[in-house]
Amino acid sequence: MTKQEKLELLRELCLEFGPTGAEERVRELICKKLGDVECKTDRLGNLIVRVPNEGAPKMMISAHMDEVGFIINEITDDGYIKFANLGGIDPRVLCGKHVTVEGKNGLIPGVIASKAIHHQSREEEKKLTPIKNMYIDIGARDKADAEGMTELANTATFDSEFVIFGENGDFIKSKALDDRLGCAVMIDVLKRLGENNYFDLYFCFTVREEIGISGARTVAQTIDPDLSIVLESTAVADLPDVPEPRRVAKLGDGGAISLRDNSTVYDREFVRAALDIAEKNGIAAQIKKYVSGGNDAGSIHKSVDGVRCLAISVPSRYIHSPASVISVSDYLSISDLVLAIIENYKE
Amino acid sequence: MLDIFKKIAAAQGVTGNENDTAGVIAELMSQYTDDISIDNLGNLIAVKKGTGEAPQRIMLCAHMDEIGFMVTYIEKNGFLRIAPIGGIDYCSIAYTRVRSERGVRGIVAPEAKVKAADFRADNFFIDIGAKSEKEAARRVKIGDTFRFDSDIVKLMGTRVYGHPIDDRIGCAVMVDIARRLDKVELKDDIYYVFSVQEEVGLRGSKTAAYAIEPDIALAFDVTGTGDVPGDTPMACEIGGGAAIKIKDSSVICDPTLVDELISVAKENKIKHQLEVLLYGGTDTASMQMSRAGSRAGALSVPARYIHSANEMIDMSDAEACAALAAEFIKGQSK
Repeated sequence: MTKQEKLELLRELCLEFGPTGAEERVRELICKKLGDVECKTDRLGNLIVRVPNEGAPKMMISAHMDEVGFIINEITDDGYIKFANLGGIDPRVLCGKHVTVEGKNGLIPGVIASKAIHHQSREEEKKLTPIKNMYIDIGARDKADAEGMTELANTATFDSEFVIFGENGDFIKSKALDDRLGCAVMIDVLKRLGENNYFDLYFCFTVREEIGISGARTVAQTIDPDLSIVLESTAVADLPDVPEPRRVAKLGDGGAISLRDNSTVYDREFVRAALDIAEKNGIAAQIKKYVSGGNDAGSIHKSVDGVRCLAISVPSRYIHSPASVISVSDYLSISDLVLAIIENYKE
Repeated sequence: MLDIFKKIAAAQGVTGNENDTAGVIAELMSQYTDDISIDNLGNLIAVKKGTGEAPQRIMLCAHMDEIGFMVTYIEKNGFLRIAPIGGIDYCSIAYTRVRSERGVRGIVAPEAKVKAADFRADNFFIDIGAKSEKEAARRVKIGDTFRFDSDIVKLMGTRVYGHPIDDRIGCAVMVDIARRLDKVELKDDIYYVFSVQEEVGLRGSKTAAYAIEPDIALAFDVTGTGDVPGDTPMACEIGGGAAIKIKDSSVICDPTLVDELISVAKENKIKHQLEVLLYGGTDTASMQMSRAGSRAGALSVPARYIHSANEMIDMSDAEACAALAAEFIKGQSK
């Protein structure tokens, strides 16, 4: 794929609707993008593409399809939608945002209602509105109208544009870069793979990472891999008011390789090998500084009799918001690095 | 046992970096077992095969990892920013000497003017005496681990203190069990598992237990006590004998196994006490819940000041744990 095609692939994946538990549309899009490759979907909805090498060490590469979003838990008499969050979302990023809601016949637009500043009391102005007090307005006149449009347990997610920006088009802002970028990297690597791979490869597009890492858990338990690479998005804080030691990673310096996070202590040999391979092949990569977050590796490394794990994350600002920001070059170099590891790493 | 314990405790093994400790223990265990291997996560598994036709699998487990710090960032002026590995109480470790996996010495300290109540990972650093980032970077890399720079030292009588007692004393107890069972004919297979990553959530023992699928599982770890001034009441003291675990916050031990351990202790006149630990978890839990479950229990060495640089135990309790476990296994495996 050309750079243009890779960006287009990422755009389509990010804009697709797929909050935790409702990943079908993303899965269908990925199948379509993979073309005539044999895809298997398991009971939870994980999509698995195997590039077989019978008897060779098994390597599982994973990225999750789900994005943070909302689930409808009440429709009010006035026809507003009350909701709970799917995944960790800061309530401060929600007020007034555009959202897409699963309707009875396809997706419908909505907006998270907020009381205009004119109507707020002094107390309200100062206080943080909790998610349970927020509403989505889907343009319904009343309850019956709203119930005709959508129903309980349907989901919603941010509705925002995918924009390439910066003077040389070096950055992207979009929703769902966490972790559609990982999905895009896996599709790209699958298309670039040569024949006769050293590993028996399993590319796993997992579900339900944002709540409890449940998809990756069952896939790893079934595949029983020897090694696993988790492709993720890591929240960075390379912001003016954050002291250097807490900035985690830098946009543009390549994929961030984790040493440990709140869910996993990563395999030291595998981490060293990945950094070596990056250096020898002139591919940008950095160590994720600061311990934060967790990802699919948290489930994978504890599966069966243990799996040696590596996580490569795209440094991402404003993660879990309608517009996270990443660097185009990080996207491209992560793909190069994953391919180089598959081709060069020997246990 | 003290010499073996000192040798095991001297090896470094902050969670995720247990190879050195595994090497030392493998050498000690090789004379007592048939096969020694290291699995995917780094667990050291030594097996003594039984002679029975349908042997039970008995899994003994102590964790090799110790709490410590990982370097996350090097400041311009040469100070190291760190993340905690395992349960670090910053009040109990402020101004402690530490040493890196490459042998670099230093002190872990809070930022100036931070009050004890506000101590947390973000306002602590390690000072290795470097003048600048450049000088520090010659000796330290991001991701390096630091452990407490603390020896095992003998105090009065059979009491010792230092770090890491949690849980190298469990490892030493297991080596001693293997020694005691060396020439004994047993029908069951005994798996001696020296596990990794206990301090961050019982991770190593989970995968080891999956592979072994034990019938009976026994963990060897330290437990809290109620015997220092101002302590929460707990009927457990150092020097009071092997602590037979009834529960901790991760597990309720198999009651029939607890009863068997108590009667073996009584029959053999081994000093023992019962342990109900209100906080803290052990590998017992992950072994109990692996696959379709196993009968799990634990023998603990009571320890004061756990997770500080100066944990304290009475070696007679460790001896009692080894004796009790050896007699229990002989009884099971006749």
